[in-house]
Amino acid sequence: MGIKHWAYRYQAGGIALLVLLGGCSAEIESVREEAPVPEDIERVARDPGRQGDIFTGTSAGTPATFNPLVAEDATSTEAIARLLDGLTRFDPVKEEVVPGLAKSWDVSEDSKTFTFHLRRGVRWSDGEPFTADDVVFTFKAIYDERYPNRKQMEFRAGGEPFEVEKIDDHTVRFTTAEIFAPFLLYIGTEILPRHKLIDAFADGTLMRQWTISTASRTPEQIVGTGPFRIRSFRPAQRMIYEPNPHYWRADREDARLPYVDFFIERFVQDQNASMVAFASGQSDHQGITPDQAGWIRRNAERHDYTVHDRGPSTSTSFIWFNQNPGTNENGTPFVEPHKLEWFTNQTFRQAVSYGIDRQGLIDGVIFGRGEPLWSSVSPANTQWYNPDVRTYPYDPEKALALLEEVGFRKENGRLYDEHGNRVTFSLITNEDNRLRANMATVFMENMKDLGIEVRLRLIDFSNFVNRISESFNYEAGLLGFTGGRDPHGGTSIYSSGGRLHVWHPNQPEPATEWEARIDELMQKQLRTLDEEERREYFNEVQSIMSEQLPLIYLITPNIHEGLRNRWRNIDPPDMGTLIWNLDEIWAEQRLLP
Amino acid sequence: MKTVIARRLIALIPMLLGITFMATMLMHLAPGDFLDQVRMQRDADPEYIERLEREFGLDNPWYVQYFLWLKNVVPWDLRSDFGYSFHYKVDVWELLGQRLPATILLSVTSLAFAWVIAIPLGVLAAIYKDSIFDRISSILAYAALSIPEFFLALLALFFAARTGLFPLGGFTSTEFEFMSPVRRFFDVAHHLILPTIVVGIGSIASIMRIMRANFIDNIRSEYVTTARAKGVPEGIVMFRHVFRNAINPLITAAGFAFSSIVSGALMVEIVMNYPGIGHMIFHAILQQDQFVVLGALVMSSTMLILGNLLADIALAWNDPRIRYD
Repeated sequence: MGIKHWAYRYQAGGIALLVLLGGCSAEIESVREEAPVPEDIERVARDPGRQGDIFTGTSAGTPATFNPLVAEDATSTEAIARLLDGLTRFDPVKEEVVPGLAKSWDVSEDSKTFTFHLRRGVRWSDGEPFTADDVVFTFKAIYDERYPNRKQMEFRAGGEPFEVEKIDDHTVRFTTAEIFAPFLLYIGTEILPRHKLIDAFADGTLMRQWTISTASRTPEQIVGTGPFRIRSFRPAQRMIYEPNPHYWRADREDARLPYVDFFIERFVQDQNASMVAFASGQSDHQGITPDQAGWIRRNAERHDYTVHDRGPSTSTSFIWFNQNPGTNENGTPFVEPHKLEWFTNQTFRQAVSYGIDRQGLIDGVIFGRGEPLWSSVSPANTQWYNPDVRTYPYDPEKALALLEEVGFRKENGRLYDEHGNRVTFSLITNEDNRLRANMATVFMENMKDLGIEVRLRLIDFSNFVNRISESFNYEAGLLGFTGGRDPHGGTSIYSSGGRLHVWHPNQPEPATEWEARIDELMQKQLRTLDEEERREYFNEVQSIMSEQLPLIYLITPNIHEGLRNRWRNIDPPDMGTLIWNLDEIWAEQRLLP
Repeated sequence: MKTVIARRLIALIPMLLGITFMATMLMHLAPGDFLDQVRMQRDADPEYIERLEREFGLDNPWYVQYFLWLKNVVPWDLRSDFGYSFHYKVDVWELLGQRLPATILLSVTSLAFAWVIAIPLGVLAAIYKDSIFDRISSILAYAALSIPEFFLALLALFFAARTGLFPLGGFTSTEFEFMSPVRRFFDVAHHLILPTIVVGIGSIASIMRIMRANFIDNIRSEYVTTARAKGVPEGIVMFRHVFRNAINPLITAAGFAFSSIVSGALMVEIVMNYPGIGHMIFHAILQQDQFVVLGALVMSSTMLILGNLLADIALAWNDPRIRYD
């Protein structure tokens, strides 16, 4: 953590860093390859900008792979998204699916068949034409038994893979066995170049293609339809992207996007180092954690950037009780029976929730830069968030009154249940997450006021995962999930049979009525393409979750993002990064001549 | 000599077997495995996780995993396969090889830096024992020895930021890709200066102290008195006789230094953002990317043995009294 202290020192002392790019970027020469613009290209509605210049970012991790079938981590998927595009795209400002490599699509009467019309004249970054064969190939690769990948299970409706059929070179038809609500969103998956990968696909080595070695030795082998292609990649140092000369988007004046000549991503060791680089004027864009936003903002004028408060993040944090009634192989129950009785009592959970000072958590843990969380969906996800769920404002007296209602009593500052057992439980969370450890400490103090003794145990991540998903040897836990956009992504949490239904996972049959109702609602929302109808079902899921409180939601930090003021065409969405439309943004003041 | 080399190399085999076996066992004793991160993702399907377990062989008991690995490593068909990284899906040697050059470069320059500074200083301190020069150099040496490496690295970065004379960490400039080969060479050299000093300065002190102590021991020995009595000039006594005797322990020390080439500079790599191998191995251990860990172990143990072997050969060359028969 040395770098962080140093960072703090150094900025407090107000020492100006060398602006690396400002210093010697004259050496960078742009040779932009131009290709003729086909008729079927997308012309963006935004005002035209000027081509040229460099966008520099820093990243706290190096991509692990450039193969979309292999990628598991965010750094890799972000890099891949710059190189490869799909049939559809999601526009986070409009909050709807918009055309991508397919310029339009028809949906059949029964909502199960989708016919996509591909753009004509689109080429891969190496100049080969893009056709329906590439689409068919991609799905063949995804579903191939030899290549276990995440999408293989995800892209199934009612357990059946999507059927893919080539109608002609520019038309593809997909059929799903049942109605699959997030189909159009999911179908935006990266399309792979058949001409580059067919041999590897045939000889069984597809998963070993497009590794970091490929990117550093032969970057031209990684071809895509996305805005960029790789110019050079040096592991643990930097990656330079250059515009894909055959990209399928242009502005009104037929200037090819992206506007920037280079996108450079520097890899640093951790997020602190990355924030220091931004605050000293070495990069154009940076995600900023709430605890660092203060001092980074103070440098804004000197390096001509702005720190934007982007509102609540999509990540959640919650405390939950182990409600698993099972026993381990020795016949010992996972949770002591009298404790299980508390944990499965809805009023007990609600009382605990009233007893949590969420504003205190926000002030103490993230310097007031956050929001209390009442629902399983963060308010950042405006598309799906239900603002009308039940809330539990801090009220220790009400909490005690509720506890007394169900037989608990407080004596000499200690809480006892109706059988005379002292109310005490242990809380586990992973030690490497500082934010969680701090939240757990505040929670412990809050519970002390109710007379509940909480013993905090910080354990290693693997041990934590093992306890909550295999041995079930714990009483309460504190965890968080990063939110996805579509409700379907949360199925493993909401459905009673789910793996991350943490309070009582993998149930063969729903244990309670309300869990059965959630199962039913999750099925229903999946079986219609009507977004309004889905929202209705999903709102009810959120209401039940907040009423029953299997997960007691805590807080969500506000996202801050820093961006240099020289960039134009910035259009901030409610959820997600400021620079989601990297291909459309252009620089007003130039670093390069 | 040949038998010595052969014997050492043969001794490598049981040692590597033991080390890798222990390492696999220890990794198994630690809770969890590589897939823990995947297990905590909300959209990872249970069937997908099972398939990955099978693909990585994590569904086998650890000793079976070890023997499967061993079976692939032993070159039955003249091809030795050390497995691939779960995280990167890249062959282990290729992955280690990507980062190795930067690490070796830094180790070599810092070792050279340390020797070039430390040996003359040690010799001078011994010849002018108890003089003001000797005192100052020992104070400085102890001071250098007691500053932790990461702190020194921070000071170096601070210096670079303050003066602008040196780049702020890293191995090459952003403009590197656009440079001519000559400019590239100077760019790397420019980036190497501070890390070299930071890594080297700690060993200067110890090398210098060893050199000084040995030199003093040898100055007092009888053959020096004899040589002086015969009227051999002082310079020849010191450099042809004393120096060659005094440097023996340092040659052995250099052999050990060879093995730390791989693991030596983890803190400096982190603080100065140096793209070396230490950081990658550190992450592989945390993530339980087991074949990378095993590969790195095989590499550093082999280097330790080879380093000692080279040191012994150099000793024999330097000191005709040493014979391996």
